[in-house]
Amino acid sequence: MKKIILCTAITAVVIYTSCNKADTSSPTSSEDFATLETTVLSDFTNNVAIAGYLDLDNQATILNDAVQALNTNTTEANLTTARNAWKGIRTVWELSEGYLFGPVEDNEYDPQTDTWPTDYVQMNNLLASSQPLTVSDVEKFDYSLRGYHPLEYILFGVSGNIAATEITARQKEYMVSLAADIKNVCHALYTSWISAPINFGQQLTTAGSGSTVYSKKQEVYTKIAEGMIGICDEVGRSSENTGKIYEPFIAKDSNIVESPYSENSLTDFKNNIIGAYNVYLGKYKVQGKGFSDLVKAKNASLDNTIKQKFETAISSFDNVTVSFEKAIFDQRQQLQTLMDNLSDLKGTLEEQLNPFIIQYITD
Amino acid sequence: MKKFWVLLSMSIAVLAFSMCNKADIFPDSGYDERLSGGLATVFDETSKAFTNAVDGLSERDAIIHGLGDKSFEQTFVTAPAPVNSGLGPVYNNVSCISCHHNDGKGTPTVGASNSSMLFRMSIPGTDEHGGPLIVTGFGAQLQDKASVGKQPEVKIDISYTDLPVTYPDGNIITLRNPHYTVIQSYIPMPSSYMLTLRLAPPVFGAGLLENIPEQTILSFADEDDKNKDGISGKPNYVYNPYTKKTELGRFGLKANNPSILVQVAGAYQQDMGVTNYVFPQESDYGQSQDDGYKDDPELPDTLLNAVAFYVKSLAVPARRNVLDADIKKGEALFTQINCSGCHKPTVQTGVDVTLPQLSSQRIHPYTDLLLHDMGDALADNRPDYKATGKEWRTMPLWGIGLFQKTNGTPYYLHDGRARSIEEAILWHGGEAEKSRNAFMQLSKDDRDRVIKFLNSL
Repeated sequence: MKKIILCTAITAVVIYTSCNKADTSSPTSSEDFATLETTVLSDFTNNVAIAGYLDLDNQATILNDAVQALNTNTTEANLTTARNAWKGIRTVWELSEGYLFGPVEDNEYDPQTDTWPTDYVQMNNLLASSQPLTVSDVEKFDYSLRGYHPLEYILFGVSGNIAATEITARQKEYMVSLAADIKNVCHALYTSWISAPINFGQQLTTAGSGSTVYSKKQEVYTKIAEGMIGICDEVGRSSENTGKIYEPFIAKDSNIVESPYSENSLTDFKNNIIGAYNVYLGKYKVQGKGFSDLVKAKNASLDNTIKQKFETAISSFDNVTVSFEKAIFDQRQQLQTLMDNLSDLKGTLEEQLNPFIIQYITD
Repeated sequence: MKKFWVLLSMSIAVLAFSMCNKADIFPDSGYDERLSGGLATVFDETSKAFTNAVDGLSERDAIIHGLGDKSFEQTFVTAPAPVNSGLGPVYNNVSCISCHHNDGKGTPTVGASNSSMLFRMSIPGTDEHGGPLIVTGFGAQLQDKASVGKQPEVKIDISYTDLPVTYPDGNIITLRNPHYTVIQSYIPMPSSYMLTLRLAPPVFGAGLLENIPEQTILSFADEDDKNKDGISGKPNYVYNPYTKKTELGRFGLKANNPSILVQVAGAYQQDMGVTNYVFPQESDYGQSQDDGYKDDPELPDTLLNAVAFYVKSLAVPARRNVLDADIKKGEALFTQINCSGCHKPTVQTGVDVTLPQLSSQRIHPYTDLLLHDMGDALADNRPDYKATGKEWRTMPLWGIGLFQKTNGTPYYLHDGRARSIEEAILWHGGEAEKSRNAFMQLSKDDRDRVIKFLNSL
């Protein structure tokens, strides 16, 4: 009988001690951590997302001005300026894809500007026809005839190197409306974050205290993490064997590359991951408090791991020294390493950052 | 003494085992109410809540699901093209996702890129399978978009007029009553056409609904209203062009579709003009605008199967705040005023040896998958197999509280006329009139509780 009592006692002790695991977190008080949660959300909203969309809005104006100048005066110099403006807005847009949620998704600003593939058969038929091509016409077109990629096709040409004099009158008419349409959409995207009726920025910063979209801060953090994980998946190789690098890579097919005429695909992809890293760090043009600070407060080693994996993934883009369209044939090892690094980063975000959010960001 | 302890421990063991074997029916309270889809439930209340695969797919299944997921989002373009070739020549939209935003509902507009309405037209009479009699030159569905150089079959205008409803307590809510007009057609419209509009519904949970045994659905039917509760409930039987048999209809807003495969294949062919092995003919076959390409079926079989599997294996989002007192009360009121007469809270799925997540699950779809007369205000006056012009299939309510997140602006009912759950309730008539009136008799607080409950689904 005594043995039974002893046994029970030992079991009880074991159970209690296992419940009372040692707290290994840093001495940061919960109050400070809660304040930090609010600051990080506010800095992400203002310094990263809104700042990014403001930049996009500005770049869209620059692009629109450049395309108009090219239309008025079709010189090689103006074409180069327009191409640079196109690449300029692509940089900002791809960076913003590190946080692809909210109005960009709900109001379909993403597919309005960045649908792929472009419907080239319809586009050629359209250009050959006498169908009107004003901005209000373009706004009614299918997404596959709007946005960056049809404009890319006109500015760069199938060869990637069309001469200014080769751009037809109909192409000019179309490109002017495409650029104006992009400008309108980018402006709408920016205003959706800062003013009524959507004011999405406010929905984020008031999460858990009045936001009608997010009843808890944890939901926003999960959403932000989901955005970072999603872009790693989209760019590299997802667990379902899809991805912007993986698919052309495995099919050895440059027809299914995203930005083939400008040969800008790899830059696009790299900017996507830099965009996600910006979200993690809480910086765009200004350095604020980021996700990183929250993780560091509780688990400095995890923070270091995530940063290191982001940096490894980003730097491995530089090992590819030719265009993506060529690399899928000539630099397969480098692309494989790049995809492996992206998968590794994604795995860490999924398996370590997600549980971190659930454990520590509970309000 | 030793014998005593041995005897005692043996008795305890027997007693313990006999207690395990107590009741043969597991009590309701033993289930977690949040698990709307049983094992096929996902805990996600973000805008992506409808887009998750059921948990625990095998590696192979996960790859097929992923392929289907990607294909669901792919934009189709005009043939010939190196990728996603085959859009049109006439169509309603360019990808699955353009109508089923975030795998959820769409936007009840026409003509815009994110418009998610489709239009069906027929004339009085039935075809050889008992289905709607289609009109030569238009087909079963009207496409309001066309490739450059082609004419859309029709252009349709939607307008709304205000329809105020006053509660007994004096509160007034204004519904919007839709009016649909064909403002243009590429050939003259037939003289006596019947037109109906549909807003793209959410697609998750379809695998579970497909796996409800036919007997279970028929057990809910009460065509002659023998129990005198004012609710009949009638199964639809429809022609399956793939199996070439007449089968129980489960999907579509009039239960006019027998399976996920036919639903998906029909959407590719009719909504996008993308032919496939189930529907190998262009939607405009035989019409003057046919593209004449010999490229059918345009959709690879693998992709059709992958998208059908994707839809089948999408998980149902879990309920939220199930222990909230107001929500509990709302749930009780929902049953008390007999909304549950058609919106069946709990159903058991059948066996599916390929996907244990869908197999023998206790689910909460809030539908009986049967047809009910919903009154004149909602009637489209267009019969579809056994469904009369007033009958609609009970819409599943799971996920309804997440529409705002998944869709930005939420819309409800078959044509998206309702802008809130409350408006949707007030549109109910016919067999649901008693319940609608009972809802209107509730105090404002209780009405809010019912809505809060629905928002927890």
